[in-house]
This record gives sequence, structure tokens and C-alpha cells, in this order.
Amino acid sequence: MVALLAGAPALPLDEAGKYVAGAYVVFLVLLVVYVAIMAAKLQRMERDLRDLAGFAENRANGETAAPGRGSEGQSISVSSGPSESRGGGR
Amino acid sequence: MYGKGLRQLSIATVVALAASLSLVFFYAPLDADQGFIQKIFYLHVPLAITALVGFVVGGVFAILHLRSGDRRWDAWSYVSIHMSVIFGVAVLVTGSIWAKASWGHWWVWDEPTLVSFLIVFLMYATYYPFRYAIEDPERQGRYASVFAITAGAFVPLNFIAVRMAQSLVHPRVFATANGGLPGSMMFTFLACLAATGLLWITLVKLELTAKSASGQLKRLRRALDAPTPGGGSRIAPEVS
Repeated sequence: MVALLAGAPALPLDEAGKYVAGAYVVFLVLLVVYVAIMAAKLQRMERDLRDLAGFAENRANGETAAPGRGSEGQSISVSSGPSESRGGGR
Repeated sequence: MYGKGLRQLSIATVVALAASLSLVFFYAPLDADQGFIQKIFYLHVPLAITALVGFVVGGVFAILHLRSGDRRWDAWSYVSIHMSVIFGVAVLVTGSIWAKASWGHWWVWDEPTLVSFLIVFLMYATYYPFRYAIEDPERQGRYASVFAITAGAFVPLNFIAVRMAQSLVHPRVFATANGGLPGSMMFTFLACLAATGLLWITLVKLELTAKSASGQLKRLRRALDAPTPGGGSRIAPEVS
């Protein structure tokens, strides 16, 4: 790698430089936006999973409102994003 | 299930992207004709190839879905097309930036390569409204697979038609006669293509893993929400 870098041509950052930088920045921004969207989805799923785990624990401990019935007060809001409601094959 | 090997794949992708970028800026020589602006091609062309191959792969998965009836193949097909559409956006934007720098215009309508890619991109952009206009999941998957197969077959035909067209302005990376890429440029280009392909595979697996986890979460919710003996109320309404 050192040999490669030693023999590398100098970067002529003239007029073309801003266009090249622009193209690579656009790619990077798209990638970052995608990863951010996926991170937000993951956070939402984690929150939903926590709610479900809490509810399951409560039910196991017999803390539901009435035996054999779901608690009206306890509501699990598993949010499903557009991609889930749209299907995507599952 | 989908997440198996995702960590290793992600690391390999990051390493491959870093290595290919190093090759682009520190190893590949400057193009005698275009100079520094040619560096965009190491990003633009691999993205375009990966997007087009991804569309075809989506069609292959759709064939598997229709043959087997296994909806996991439909998921693979959907995510492949989804990721290729995102890559397609990057292709159009990076191509436009190169066109502005090289030709002085963001877009040229009489250039077959540009217009044909735009047609393919717009065709796949209709995949989403087409798919989600159908509510029944079985029909949705089936119709979407038919679309993916038909559109996937159109992609190579479109590519061949463009190669046969007598374009005067858009450069050809792989010349069929004299004047192809020299060795160092070709090596860099292939490294970029491999890195971009790895990125596509990683993102497809990531998306599938997220969708699978989301689906399992919904199943868990339904299981917990199921009417228990002696009572039939739901603990929460279905959120659509």
C-alpha cells in the first residue's frame, strides 16, 4: 500500500475537483440516509419488543385486569411502518 | 435467519469500499482525455451495473417465487428491486454531475444510454404503487412477481439495444475494439465493482433482516394478543 501511495499521481484539485467531490458526497449522503432510516426502524422495533416483553411478564405474573381477558388498560402499540403494512413478502 | 453472517459481510464491505476508494484516488492514473473528472466513473459505472444486475436478480427471485409459491422468494425479489432503485437514484445523480462537468449539461435527451436508464428506473419506480395497489398479500406477491420477471427481462434487452445504438457522446467503459481500459484502470474498476456488489448484497441482507425481525415481532404480538379461554377481547387494535 505504501508503494502504491508513493507512486500515486498528485490529485489535481482544479475545476473538476468539486464535481468529483460532489458525486462521491451524494453517494455517501444516500448511504448515510439509508442507514439512518434503518437505525430508526431498529429503534422502533426495539421499543415495541420492550413493550411486548413487559406485557408478557405482566401476564405471566397474573397482573392482567381479569383472568382470561386482556387488560383494557394495557395497550401494546406495535407500530408497523409503511414497509411492513405494505407487505414486502411476509 | 437473514442476519446470518451479516456482521462479517458488513466488515468485508467497509474494507472493500475503503480499498477501492484508495485505489481510485491513489493508484489509478489520470485519464488522458478526461483528466480528474474520470474518477466519477469508478463510482457511477459500478453503481449502474449493480443496479441493473439487481433488477435482473429481482426477476430471478420472482421466478423462484412463482415456481415454489414460497413467499420468502417474493421478499428477496422485493428487496432486490428496492435496493436497485436506490442505487438507480445514485446512478442518475452521479451521472448528471459527470455530464455537467464533461458536457456542460445536467442531462442530454438525445443520448440513448441516459434515456434508456431513466426509462428502466421509471419503470421500476412504478413497481411500488403497482404492488401496494393490491391488498390481498397472495395476489400482491404474485402480480409483483410477474412484473419483476417482465421488467427483469426488459433490462438486458434494453442494454443490448443501447449498445447497438450509434451513440456519439457517451463513453464506453468496455470498448469492444481498440482502446479499452488499461490494466491499472481496469483493476481499479473491477475492485470498485466488487465493492459496490458487496455493498448491494449487504444492504439487501440488512433490509431482509429488518423485515424478518419486524414480521416476527408482529407474530409475537398476535400470539400474545390471541383470545384466551374465557375471554375474547383483543389487548390492542391492529395498527395498520
